[in-house]
Amino acid sequence: MKNIEELKMMREKVRQDLRLRSGQHRVRIVVGMGSCGIAAGAREVMNEFVTLVENSKKEDIVVTASGCFGFCAQEPMIHIYVEDQRPVTYRNVDIEAARLIFNEHVLNNKIVEQYLFSKGKK
Amino acid sequence: MKDLADHLFDIIENSVNAGADEVIVKIAYTESYFFCFISDNGKGISGQEVLDPFVTSRTTRRVGLGLPLLKRTAEDTGGYLKIKRIDESGGTALQFKMYLTHIDAKPVGDLARTFSDIFFAWPEVTVRLFVIRDGIERLILDFQKLRDEIEQGLKNYTNIRKHIHEVSHKEFKDINII
Repeated sequence: MKNIEELKMMREKVRQDLRLRSGQHRVRIVVGMGSCGIAAGAREVMNEFVTLVENSKKEDIVVTASGCFGFCAQEPMIHIYVEDQRPVTYRNVDIEAARLIFNEHVLNNKIVEQYLFSKGKK
Repeated sequence: MKDLADHLFDIIENSVNAGADEVIVKIAYTESYFFCFISDNGKGISGQEVLDPFVTSRTTRRVGLGLPLLKRTAEDTGGYLKIKRIDESGGTALQFKMYLTHIDAKPVGDLARTFSDIFFAWPEVTVRLFVIRDGIERLILDFQKLRDEIEQGLKNYTNIRKHIHEVSHKEFKDINII
């Protein structure tokens, strides 16, 4: 049996985890989830990123969703925000691209030119 | 949209985009039809113009396709889609029905995945999922309760995606066979 202090600490930790998901992280992966993105397979891509983050055991990376970016023909699209760097946008991201971008860009900070859409713009 | 699960995700994305933080989903199904009711507390719609693909509030592109597509998906099977503003709260309510035995019916897809995806895409939004069977409504998933349980350490955050999938899949497995 845990004492009340331990329980409070656990609760605070979980609260922080939940808060972090919408707050500040070193890396934020944003998947476009408009009708266009969903139709192009964005859900599979988001799931792949969530799995990749889980497997990497990194706690400073978060995956979230946004609406349509306005370039529907090039969905699924994702933005990667690395702390203190300009955001990078990728286009036509499938499962394979997601793995590549995660390993190269998210973990090693190297931009994957093959799927690059734009740098520095939202 | 390749299946109904995609449509459902898309409709709930509409709610989130309209500023909703509470979404109620009620699903009733048999082997022959699929009925779904969704209501939210977002900013609401002003009329039926949301069913016109060339009317949209967005600024990123000039057409909105999610609802017109779902309407077509439902009507292609002899079903319907209705949408209206909830006068008391200002939110939106919609319902649609599609006949699964119709030759033009889309596959249902992995509905359970839709709900686990929603929890991950918008963790701050509360979704309550009810399944209606034999006239009885049962609460299957309550995201607020799940968040509380995670906070209290009763459930593990990293396993929650699996948990949501398992709970809803149990309910949907009959329909997933189709």
